[in-house]
Formats: sequence, C-alpha cells, structure tokens
Amino acid sequence: MNDPISQIIEQALMGARALLEFGSHLVNPTVRLGVTGMSDAGKTVFITALVHGLLHGGRFPVFDAMASGRVSEARLAPQPDDAVPRFDYENHLRALAARRWPESTRRISELRLVIEYQSQRGAMRTLTLDIVDYPGEWLLDLPLLEMNYEQWSAESLLLSRQPPRTALATHWHDHLKALDPLGAEDEQAALTATALFVDYLKSCRDQRYAMSMLPPGHFLMPGELAGSPALTFAPLDVPHHGAAPEGSLWAMMRRRYESYKRIVVKPFFHEHFARLDRQIVLVDVLSAFNAGPEALLDLERALASILACFNSGRKSLFSAMFSPRIDRILFAATKADHLHRSSHDRLEAILRRLTESSLQRAQIAGGTVDVIALAAIRATREATIRDGHGQLPAILGTPVAGEIVGRETFDGQTEVAMFPGDLPDNPEVLFKDLDAFRGLTMASAQDADFRFLRLLPPALQIGQSDERSFPHIRLDRALQFLIGDRLQ
Amino acid sequence: MNTLYRRPAAFALNDPNVVLTEADREASAEIIPLTQEHDIEVSAAPIARVRSRNRFGWATVFWSALGALIALAIGLAITQLVEDLYARSQALGWLGLLLAATAALALCAILMREIRALVRLSAIDELRDRASATIVSDQRTDGLAVARELLHLTRNTPLLARARKVLASHVDDIIDGADMVRLAERGLMAPLDQEAKRLVSAAAKRVSIVTAVSPRALLDMVFVLVTAFGLMRRLAYLYGGRPGTLGLIRLMRLCVAHLTVTGGLAIGDGMAQQILGHGVVAKLSTRLGEGVLNGLLTARLGLAAMEVTRPLPFVALPQPTINDLAADLLRLRAPKTSDDDQ
Repeated sequence: MNDPISQIIEQALMGARALLEFGSHLVNPTVRLGVTGMSDAGKTVFITALVHGLLHGGRFPVFDAMASGRVSEARLAPQPDDAVPRFDYENHLRALAARRWPESTRRISELRLVIEYQSQRGAMRTLTLDIVDYPGEWLLDLPLLEMNYEQWSAESLLLSRQPPRTALATHWHDHLKALDPLGAEDEQAALTATALFVDYLKSCRDQRYAMSMLPPGHFLMPGELAGSPALTFAPLDVPHHGAAPEGSLWAMMRRRYESYKRIVVKPFFHEHFARLDRQIVLVDVLSAFNAGPEALLDLERALASILACFNSGRKSLFSAMFSPRIDRILFAATKADHLHRSSHDRLEAILRRLTESSLQRAQIAGGTVDVIALAAIRATREATIRDGHGQLPAILGTPVAGEIVGRETFDGQTEVAMFPGDLPDNPEVLFKDLDAFRGLTMASAQDADFRFLRLLPPALQIGQSDERSFPHIRLDRALQFLIGDRLQ
Repeated sequence: MNTLYRRPAAFALNDPNVVLTEADREASAEIIPLTQEHDIEVSAAPIARVRSRNRFGWATVFWSALGALIALAIGLAITQLVEDLYARSQALGWLGLLLAATAALALCAILMREIRALVRLSAIDELRDRASATIVSDQRTDGLAVARELLHLTRNTPLLARARKVLASHVDDIIDGADMVRLAERGLMAPLDQEAKRLVSAAAKRVSIVTAVSPRALLDMVFVLVTAFGLMRRLAYLYGGRPGTLGLIRLMRLCVAHLTVTGGLAIGDGMAQQILGHGVVAKLSTRLGEGVLNGLLTARLGLAAMEVTRPLPFVALPQPTINDLAADLLRLRAPKTSDDDQ
C-alpha cells in the first residue's frame, strides 16, 4: 500500500484501463451506474423497479427521453464482467409479484441494459447502461485504506464507547479488557474477539438502533471470505504509535488488518468503484427517525464518510484515480411513500442537511450532486383523517406482521391508515441535541415521536398489459438526473 | 417537540373519519397545507405587476381628462342631433334615439370584450411569471397550479386534445414544481411552437415576396403592417389569448419593447450573418434584397411575438432562433426569385 513502486504500477494500470475504456466508449457509449446504500435502504427494489420500468416503457413523465417517445427499446444484455455475479432481476421481480420484498444485497452484482434511442437531432443511437449494485457498507471501508491498524482501533473503540453503542458493546469490551495485546498470538482469542465484535456491529444495526457507521463493511456482509483470517481481527486497546512486538497478538491483528485492506478493500476499489460514471446513494432516513437522534447523527457521520470517498480531495492517492470518473451523484431518501406528499419537501430538506457540509465540497470539485426523496415502488395510497383539531395527512398501506403503532399490533393482512408523525419544518430542530425527539432507542413503541412501519409491497398484477410499471415516486426524476443527459 | 408536532397514529380503514384521496377526486380531497413561503411566493408576482401599473403621472391625468372631454363632446353632439331630429319630426326623433341606444349598447359590448381580452392577456403574462418563479422555487403546489391553469387555458385548442389528456393524467402524480412546469411545456407547448414557427415563417415569406414584387414602397409598408398585426393576432389565438383591438395594440407595444431590449443581444446571434447575407442578395437585386430584409424583420417580430404571447417561458424546449426561420425563408424563395428577375 505505502510502497511507492506498487503505487506507480497501480496508477499506470488504472490509467491504461481508463484509456482502453475511453476508446471503446467512443464506439459504444456506456454508462456505469453505481447503486449503493446501507442495508435495507432499498437498493434491490430500486434496481428492479428501474429495470422493469425501462424494459416495459413505464410511466416516467419526467424522464425526458422516454416521455417524449425517443426511446425505442430497452433490453437486457448478457452480463459483461465474468467475475461479477449477475443481478438476479427475474427472481426479484417474482418476489415482488408475490408481495414479498426481494432479498437484500449481500454482495456486488451487475446488470447490463441496452437502450436504443433517437437523439434530439434524429440519429439512431444506443446507450449501454451497466448497473452495479454493491452494499454501502463497503464504501465505509474505503477510508480504512488511509488508516493504519492503530488508528482504526482507536477510532472504533472511541465510537463504541459512546451511547447507545456502549451498552451493546459490553460483552466485547469485557473480553477486550482480558486480552493482552503484547501477549503471544492466539487464534482462539482472535476468533472470540472477532465474534464479539461482529455481534456488537450486528446489534447496532438492529432497527431499534439503526446505526450506519459500522466499518469494516465486510464483517457484516462477508461473502465467500467468511471465516478466513483476513476477516478475523478486531480492534485492540493499543497505543497510537508504537511497534508491535514480533509474534504478539497485536502483530497478528495488524497483519490481518493489512490483508483485509489488500485482499478485500483494494480489489473492490480498483475493479468496481473506480470505474463508475454515475452514482446513486440510497439513504433510509426514516429508519433513523424510528430509532432516535443518535441514529440520525450516526447516519450523518456515515454519509460524510461515504461522500469523502467520492471526493477525498486532490492530495490523496485515491482521488487521483477516480476524480475524473463519477460526475453525478444523487442522494435519495428512499421510502418516501411512507410519508404524505406534503412532507416530501421536508424529508428532502433533512437529507440535504445530513449531507450539507460534504455536498459543498463535492460541488466545488466539479461533480453535480442532487438530493431527492423517492420511492422506487410506491406501496401506499394517500388519505386524510379528520380528527378533533383538523385533518391529518395520512397514508394507507399494509404493515408487515408484528409492527406496532400506539397500542395496536398488526397482523400483516389488513390495510390501515397511518399518520407517521410530523417532520419538522426546520431540519435543525432534529440535530439540536440527543433529546430532540424520542425514538425506539430510548422509548417504547408507544411513546416514539415517529413511527414509519415496514409495509408490504403493493398488490399488483405484474405482466398485465395495462400495468406497465410499478407505481413510484420520483423514480423518473432520478433517472433523468442520472442518465438523462446521455440520451440527448 | 412533542407539544408542537402531532403524534403518530393508526386508524382502521372502516373508521368514518378516514377520507380516501382518490385519484379522480384530486384537488378537492387533497389537503396540501400552504407553508408560509408558499403564500409569499404566490402573492409576490401580482404585487410587482400591480405596482408597475399604478404609476401616477400627469400624462395619465391629461389623457383621461381629454378623453372625458371628448366623450362629453360626442355625447353632447348626439343629444343635440336627436333633439334636432325630434324638432323636425317625431318619427325621425325616435329613430335617432333608437340608433343612438343601439350604438351605445354595441359600444358597451365592445368595451366588455376588450376588457375581457385584456384580462386574459394579463392572466397569460401572470402565468408566465409564475411558471418562471416555479422553475426556481420548485414548489409542488405552484407547479400544479400552473399545470392546471394551462390545461384550462388551452381547453379549446383542438391540436392539444391528446396532450391535454396525457398531462391531466399526471396532475395527480407526485411531481415537483419545476418538473411539472417542464412537463407541461413539453406536452402542451411543443405542438403549438411548431405551428407558431410555421405561421411566422409563412408571414415572413409573404412579406418578402410582396416587397420584392410590389410597385410602390407605400404599398409594402401597408402590407407589412397588416401582416404583422395579423401574425400577432394569430399567434395570440394559437397560444390561448383572445386579443381584441386594444389587446393587439398592447401586444404590439410589448413586442416592440421586447425587440428593443433583446435587439442588441440578437445581433450577436445570427443577425450579423443575416445582414451580411442581405448585402450579398442586395448586390444581386435591390428589390430582392429589400424583400429578404423585410422578411427577416417580420420573422424577428414574429419570434418576439411568440415570446410575448406564449403562456410559458422557454425552459424545456429550445427557443426558435432567427436562423431556423431564415434558412427556410431563403431556401424556399430561391426558385421564385429567379423567375421574378427574368
């Protein structure tokens, strides 16, 4: 990593590849669209809905090329990268047709679409759209490339000692106290420490806490490397600077941390991330609302960390590799259908506030960044509820079994009208302090200020001729922003 | 925050208090709370407009007073006439009174029509201002209002039957303000723009032919004037305005004002080539050159008229330029002019 010669070789390879791709793109224009987001943000649903809409000429009034009839055909093409799994579009579609949400993203996958269209001036053209789906957690790994083991340990420990994480990390902290970093290397100790560390990370992700900033990402989504030494290490309480004695536990952990970066993080980085042209980051702001102010602050940290990947400044090694590539980034607050349309602008304002500081940097660096509230598949309808004081803007949907609002528990069959709580006009109210609002972290489901329930997908007859796409909210606007300019 | 905000709650669907927002019952059932900035935004445009019109000036006083005097004089003259008629014969007197009453009635009707036309024109102006504001503010309610009003304005345009239907089907979708305005422009304005371009280029062609062949300069001046007013009137009708005489005069004033403002800019974009080209043509034949120049001027006027009469600003669609029309003008005229010269 820090070896200057290997750096130069890497950069030369990247450059050569970029040149090669540039050449082939002249003949056959291609856009690589990265779709990412923390788990449960709705990546799979987003891609499935988007592909379905494109293939079947969906209802996308704001997507100019399609609305004005210039797109003559879109079709799936064989997956181009032999080493990457194909996005399982057909199965996900079947799941949705059966009113189940598709399985979530556990690893990287890719799908190629060919769009035939006529340009504004009348020439027939094709655009190849490669959609790359990868877990957002992996992006949180990229900052590790610039950290050594000691820095990472210190940071992870610091984070784990803040409320509400500290309560979740008790077991791991207890075990950590018993460990001697300078003692002899010990596979069993490493395994236990890792297991406890991973448990802690997993419980942070629970919907009651909804934490986002949980590196290393592959610990939560290990893929085929599960159980290998590169994924068996944990932070130790070690000093910032200082050499690890030969043969100690510390040295072993440090070696594995470096292998993790070399085997897991860097290949993802070179093979996939650095080759993206456009990026959409899906953010599930609503589950952070469910959990509480801590989750919201954590989300802000995670987003800042993600944005830093896109734009880590000119001085770092990595920016040099991908600064010319990603030129449009869209931050999308997903599940906007859980809110009445009158609150969408507020949701957008909150996401804007979450990404604000980092956005300013990205805009200066030349990329275009936008923020929207969307629902790739709209699972609700709207209604108003008369109550004593006036009218509540509500939504209708079928909550999954076991969800609770007030004193009611739902059975997953009945459709109900819900009012999820008022989003504030001014986003700053939410970030004021840790008592800004009550979420599941601190309060019971009865007392929470916001309740966004998990809902079943809408009941649809997919494949019927009159129902050509899923109902959605602003999916067309997202498309217009991401690829509209390439279909001029 | 608990005191300020409402608590989450769930209701069964058979609760009588739950009112479904059906797609077809749209606006009435839908409650979209007007936020404060929305209120300000809506009222801002009309205020600016009213202020610009309410300028007090001695000239206005003079003209109004003079107008009132003339009206009085005419009234007096008519009364006098009727009295004279009565003095001559009873029947003639009645006839005169009847005619005077009919004339007064007709005048009232004409005035009403003119006023209505003016109101309609200013409504179009206001719609355009609001659309421009919405493009910036991106407020969904504003965008929706613009789309609805546009649908209403163009309800009698047969060219747009299908486009209106398509747009109406999107009114209930969740689309942001600026996107909605663009959508409306692409849907409803594109066919009209085509037609408008055709009208302008036809008028320009006519003017240039007549100028080239007419024997007297006075004749072509009259012809140009008539064509210009006719063009403006047809464009206004096309875009949903119904200008009467006063409205037409007002449009012409706006149009000329617009040309003087944008004229300086426009020289950069193509006018220079046009004038140079005219020089070349003029070398071949003076009359032909004058024809082309008059045609181009008419086209410019037509483009300005398009901007003044169109209810939306050019945002999603490209604004037609003089080059688009000039190419047309020169190309189609070529065979005819060669005939003229021989």
